[in-house]
Parts: sequence; structure tokens; C-alpha cells
Amino acid sequence: MHPLKWSLFALPALALLAAPASAGENVEWKDDGTVVLKLGEAYNNQTITVKQEDLGSEFGPDKQPFKDVTITLTVNGAGPKGGISGPLYQFRPIWEELTGGKVNIVELPFAEHYTKMMLDLRNGTGQYDAFMVGAFWYGDIVPAGYAYAIDEMQASGKYPKWTYDDMPPSLKALHQWKGVGYGVLNDGDGQVLYYRSDVLSNPEHQAAFKAEYGYDLPNPPQTWQQLLDIAKFFNGKNWDSTDADPDSGMVLHLKVGEQGHYHFQSLSSSFVINPGDKVTRTQNVYWFDPEDMKPLINSPGHVKALEFLQELHKTGPGAQVGWSLGEAWDYFLRGKSVFVFSWGDVGALCQDESRSKIKGKCAATVIPSSNEYYDFEKKEFVKLDTPRVIGNTVGGSWHGVISNFSANPEATYSFLSLMAMQPVSKLMATVGWDGVDPGFSYQFLEEDGGTAKIEDYVAAGWAENDAKTYTKAYHDTFYAPTSLTYLRIPGTFEYWDILDKNLSAAMSGSKTAQQALDDTAAAWEGVTDRIGRDKQKADYQAAIGYAP
Amino acid sequence: MRWTGKIRFLLLAPAVIWVLAFTVFPLGYSLYLAFYKIEQKVEIKREKEVILDADGKPVLDDNGQPRTKNVVIKEQVNIATFIGLDNFKRLFSDPQVAEAIRVTLLFVLIAVPVELALGFLLAVLFNQHIFGRPVLRTVMILPIFATPLAVGYTFFTIFYEVGGPLAWTGIPFLSNPNWALISVILVDVWQWTPFCFLVFLAALQGVPDELYEAARVDGASAMDMLREVMLPLLVPTIIIVLLLRMAEALKLFDIPFALTGGGPGVATQPFSLLAFRTGLRFFDLGYASAMAYALLIVVMIVVTLFFRRLRMNYD
Repeated sequence: MHPLKWSLFALPALALLAAPASAGENVEWKDDGTVVLKLGEAYNNQTITVKQEDLGSEFGPDKQPFKDVTITLTVNGAGPKGGISGPLYQFRPIWEELTGGKVNIVELPFAEHYTKMMLDLRNGTGQYDAFMVGAFWYGDIVPAGYAYAIDEMQASGKYPKWTYDDMPPSLKALHQWKGVGYGVLNDGDGQVLYYRSDVLSNPEHQAAFKAEYGYDLPNPPQTWQQLLDIAKFFNGKNWDSTDADPDSGMVLHLKVGEQGHYHFQSLSSSFVINPGDKVTRTQNVYWFDPEDMKPLINSPGHVKALEFLQELHKTGPGAQVGWSLGEAWDYFLRGKSVFVFSWGDVGALCQDESRSKIKGKCAATVIPSSNEYYDFEKKEFVKLDTPRVIGNTVGGSWHGVISNFSANPEATYSFLSLMAMQPVSKLMATVGWDGVDPGFSYQFLEEDGGTAKIEDYVAAGWAENDAKTYTKAYHDTFYAPTSLTYLRIPGTFEYWDILDKNLSAAMSGSKTAQQALDDTAAAWEGVTDRIGRDKQKADYQAAIGYAP
Repeated sequence: MRWTGKIRFLLLAPAVIWVLAFTVFPLGYSLYLAFYKIEQKVEIKREKEVILDADGKPVLDDNGQPRTKNVVIKEQVNIATFIGLDNFKRLFSDPQVAEAIRVTLLFVLIAVPVELALGFLLAVLFNQHIFGRPVLRTVMILPIFATPLAVGYTFFTIFYEVGGPLAWTGIPFLSNPNWALISVILVDVWQWTPFCFLVFLAALQGVPDELYEAARVDGASAMDMLREVMLPLLVPTIIIVLLLRMAEALKLFDIPFALTGGGPGVATQPFSLLAFRTGLRFFDLGYASAMAYALLIVVMIVVTLFFRRLRMNYD
């Protein structure tokens, strides 16, 4: 044998000897008891190190606990590098290597996802093992027995570890039903106000604003009324020098059938919710009277809030009546508006310089408060001396729920919980494109009561001030003492669709605010009667924590 | 031969089964749904079953224990309650239905005549000897072959109000309720005028040249020929095209679904889209079936009236 040929055999053999305990393409088991999860290009080939014991007893270098098992999940269609669906694609090869199983990802258009899921569940076909659901679907899937309770699997220690205790109570409630866990931690949704910190702190703008409105430009605004003044002041002016066109005060996403009604929910909460230590017939209620399920949606507080939203709409582009999230976010990211109030994606997307011109100028704060609210007991508006913080969890908080018809709940749970582990979830919340927003204690900064450090965000490419205001805004939103109650009763999808259509009619000028909300209330009565008033009342009381 | 008859039935069987399974059964079942309220309940049990290999021996896991798989046993109970005509009565008091009927009728009454008129004018034009006629004719009929959903999404980008190709017009194509309906009509006209054009052109080319020559000899002007020669001969074709387009337009769905989502508000939500949402978004299947039957009855009345008129023409 030629002497050089020895090296052909010897070098790979030496390499194998020098290699760690077990190194696969996507997972590396280290001798020190840690495991390195290797992410793909979408996450810039980053690695996440977790403790072997945190992966659960079913996982090990020589184990393939779900060999030949195939699981199928549905998700809103956004592609391998899109919101919520993206992480499934990125963690699929890791889970497949860990378990020997296979993952099918079925992407469905947002408008079709609920329909396809319900058809599968109602017919009991069991085609899908899990669904990445919005929390507002719970009312239709959990009481009907379509969801698989996960508490036992979570407590078993067999699968990747995470805990509901990392969630603020407001988010935890969305993942459980009557104290039983169904949802696996993934995304935390709630709206906050984003504003251009550079524009509001500009001395020239501040002086001009004071001259016009007679008071100092609040930076950031504390009340909706202040915000409207600021939005009006900046609307139509070319305050952003990146192009020659006039810019806007506010941008909204109002397209019918999508997520415009969440704007109304988060804005109107402070016009409507009566303060109080507990939920009573008049305090901390928003949707229905918990005694008789009569809609509150056309109360004077709601109507005033909608009239306010109509005013606010005039400080933005008229086309926004037909805009989805993407168009509205893009408008803000291009530096065309001072404000947008939306989900956590915006803060993370601001840091992506391929899409955003406003990195480092994109601050966030809690949703402002109205300076008055409608008192349900006195039947009159009450002025507030100081603004209050009303938290919200509007949106889907999109996360995995396992189908009760799944033949592989353990395998499915292990895949979902792999993405719920603290180091994984922490990383995902710092990235804009993946749609996973912060909401868990380890994503909030130490100074706000969390365990994250500002360095974590800066290392992930964030501007320091943006990250500080962003994490604080979310912390304060989710831990607010008073919060907008989340509607999770059977038929929620239909109640919200009716509201959405009527809001869209009001925003496009074909109905007045009063008409739109009166029509909503009338249609809601029909839905409640059809599903069963007593049944709805019981579910609603349980959902908002009302004791008759 | 005796077996010929049997073979005939055998050959017909797939078609009969197809019609029974995919036309008659859904029709019957949806009629049943319209008169009943269905409540579903499901009971689920799980059992562990040992996985066996090809020789029938248990497959062992890493710990030497038999590997098992879950078997889901489900028992689904449907409780049907007869509710008579309740679903049909709801149609008369539901403001969403009234609005959807208004949108559908407006759409049919504007879009269909415009498509016919434009199709006819284009057919008259293309019936002349014009330069590049074969190529132009081919280009003209291309929209017919596009998928309505794709057309809807394409026009969404064309009508995009900030930065879209028509943004310079300043027209609120999708954000204003009236303009949104006009946009839906424009897209439908764009897609289906070529169909009217194609049929009219075929009919015009079937008119004998002698008739035109005779009219010309009698001193008829172009307008006279249009009024006295072409139109009378084309009446049966016009009625057929009108009938087909009306029946299709009454079922309008894809274009508003993709272009406007039925909005703003419900300004572009036609009856079919409302029925779809009621049935497959909110799973109010009985009411959605009643809606579908109401639409079917209206379409059948329209079709019958036109066929009767057509028959009278021939008689």
C-alpha cells in the first residue's frame, strides 16, 4: 500500500476519536451533560445549548423515542421563514434527529385555518396531530372535547421542560381551560404603542407643538387624547427626510376579515372598563353583562371609543381601511408614520435593517389610556385625573394545541415543547421574522422583574433603547393590574367576525359608530340565542372569573 | 345480444355513481341540514397496542420493553332536532342577508349588461377585416383562462392604493365601499367580457355575407345593418349568453373573496360568500344550507324564465 494511502484511513479515524460524544448534523451531545441544538440559516446558523436533563428522559444520544412516527401540524401559512410557521421548519430537523420521527407541516391561509381545523375535529378524522391555534379558538375546541390535556405529559419529565409559571397570569389563562393545560408555550400576544423616539424628542417639533396646542409635547403620550393631538400635528407634514412625500401621524391595519378589530379592542378598553378589585356586573367587564349575556359592545363607552378611532384614522393614509398587518407595519418601518399600535413583531422587525429605516428610533410604551371612561353603574362618563394602564392580550398568542384524535400525542407534545424550552423561546423572541413575541419572565429585563439582560438583546442585534422600552412595554402590558378580558366562549370567532365587519363599515364611512355597534349588538344576540344563552352565560362567567 | 344491454349499464354505472355521490347526495343532505339542528358529541378512548414486526414478534425499545402505539377509539353522536322552516324564516329577518342580496343584485345588474355590451361591440369590431386580427383575438380571450382567485389577488396589487400602479389616480379602489364594489365589477368585466365577445363573434361569423350585401344594395347604413341585420339574428345568442352570465354572476364568490374579502364592512360581500362564511367559518350548517337553497331557487327561476323566453322566440 502506498504510504499516503494510510492517511486516507488514519485521518478520518483520528477525527472520529477526537469528536465529542455524539455530533449529528443538527444536534451535538456533549460530554459535559449539555446538548447543542444547531439552527439553520434562517437563524444565522446560531446554536442553542441546553442541559441534557432539560430535554427530558426520553431523549438521549442513543435513543430514538419516536422512530418511524410521523406527526402532522397545521399552521397559518407564512412559509419557512415566516411568522409562527418559520420556527416549525427550523426546529423540524433537530427534532427529527433527536427522535427518529418525521414532521409534516401543513400551511393553511389564515382565513382557512380555523375552517380546516374544525372540519377535521368535527368529523373526527384525526388527520392532524396538532394545530398552531389562536387562543380565541379555545371556546370552540376545548369544551367540545377536541383538545388533548397536556398536564400529565408536562409533569412526567420525559419531554423537553418548560413551565406555565414563566407566564404572566394574563397569558397563562389563555393556555388553560378551567385550570387544565392545553396550550404549549410559544408566542405572547398583546398590543403596545410604538412611536418614533427621534421625532417626539426633536426640540423643533416640541416647540412647534407647544405653540399650536398650548402644552408640552408628551414623550411618549400617556392618554389617547394626547396621542390624537400629536398624530394630527405630524400628519401631512414631511417630518421624515428620507423622501419628499408627506408623512402620517398614525397607521392602522383595518382590512376586514383580518385583525382590525384588535385595534378597537385595545383602544376602547380604557374607555369602557370600570376599575375594581374583582369582576362584578359593572366592573372589569367589556363584552357582555355576565348576568344575562346582553351585549355591552354598544355602550356609550364603546361608541365613544369607535368615534375616537374614526378620528385617529384621519391622521393616517386612507388606504389603510384595506390594509393587512404587513402593509401597515411596512409603512411604519419605512418611516412614514409617527405611531403604530400593534404586536411584538413590530419591535423586532424595527431592528431588521433590510426592512426597517428606523432601528434605534423605534420606541415602545403601553397602550395609552383614555382620560375618561363610561361608568356602567352611574350611566355617565367619569373623568380621570391621572391616566391608568389597562393591559391587554389581544391577538392569538399563537401556540400548539394537540388534537384529541391524535394517535401520537407524546411525539407531538415533545416537538412543541422543544420550542417552548427557555433558551429556545428566549432566542425566538429576539428575532423579528419568526412571529414569536415576548411574554415570558425570562424575556423581560432584570430591571423590570424578569431574568433577561439587555446584553442578550444587543447581542441579538437590537438597539439598546428600543429593546429597553420594548421589553418594559410588554412587561407592563401583561402584568397590568387591570386588563381587557379575553373572549374565549363558543362562537368567539363568529362574535368577532360580526364586530369586525361592522367596525370596517364604520371606518370606511358606510355606518356611524353608533349604528355599527348597535348592529353588532343585535347580531350578537342572535348568536347567543342560537348557541344557547344559559350555556354561553356559564362559559362567559367562567372565562372572566365572575361569581354571581 | 343480451350482454350488450348489461355492458351498457356497466359503462353507465361510473357516471351514475358519480352523480349520485357528488350531486344527489350533497343536495339531499344539505336539504336535510336546512330543516334540522345538528349537535355533535364525541367520546374518545385510547388504548395502547404493542407494535409487532413482520414475524409477529413485539418490537422492543431501548430498554428492552415492547414498543407500543396509541389506538384512538372514537364514538361520535349526532343529535338532530327538527326545526321546520326556522332557518328559512331567519333569511327574512337577517340584515346580513338583505345586504348580501343588495350587493349581489347590484353586481349582476351592472356587470352583466356591461360585459354583454362590451363583448358585442368588440365582436362587431373583430368581425371586420382589421390588421393582426388573429393575434389580437387570441390576446383578447386570454383572461377567460385565468383562475378567478388568482385574478383577484393580481388586481389587489394593481388597485393597491399606496405605491400601486394605479395609485396616481388617487381613487380609493379598495378602501371606499362604493369604489370597492366598482373594483369587483371591473375585474369581473375584465375577465368575462372576452367570453361574451367570443360567443358573439362566432355568431356574427355565422351570418351569411349575402344578408349584408343585400342590405348594402338596399342602401342600409352601418347602423341600419347593426340594428336590422345583426341584432335580430343574434337575439338567441344574446339570451343564452345573458342567461349563462347571470347564473354565474349570481354565484359570485372568488373575486371579492380574493380582492376585498367582502369589505370594507360588507360592501362587497355577495350572497355566496355569506353562505360560505356561515357554513364553513361559523359551522351554522343548517342556516348556510337554507341560504344555498334560496340561491338555488332564485337561479332556477332566472334560468326557467329565460328558457321560456328563448323557446317562445323559436316557436
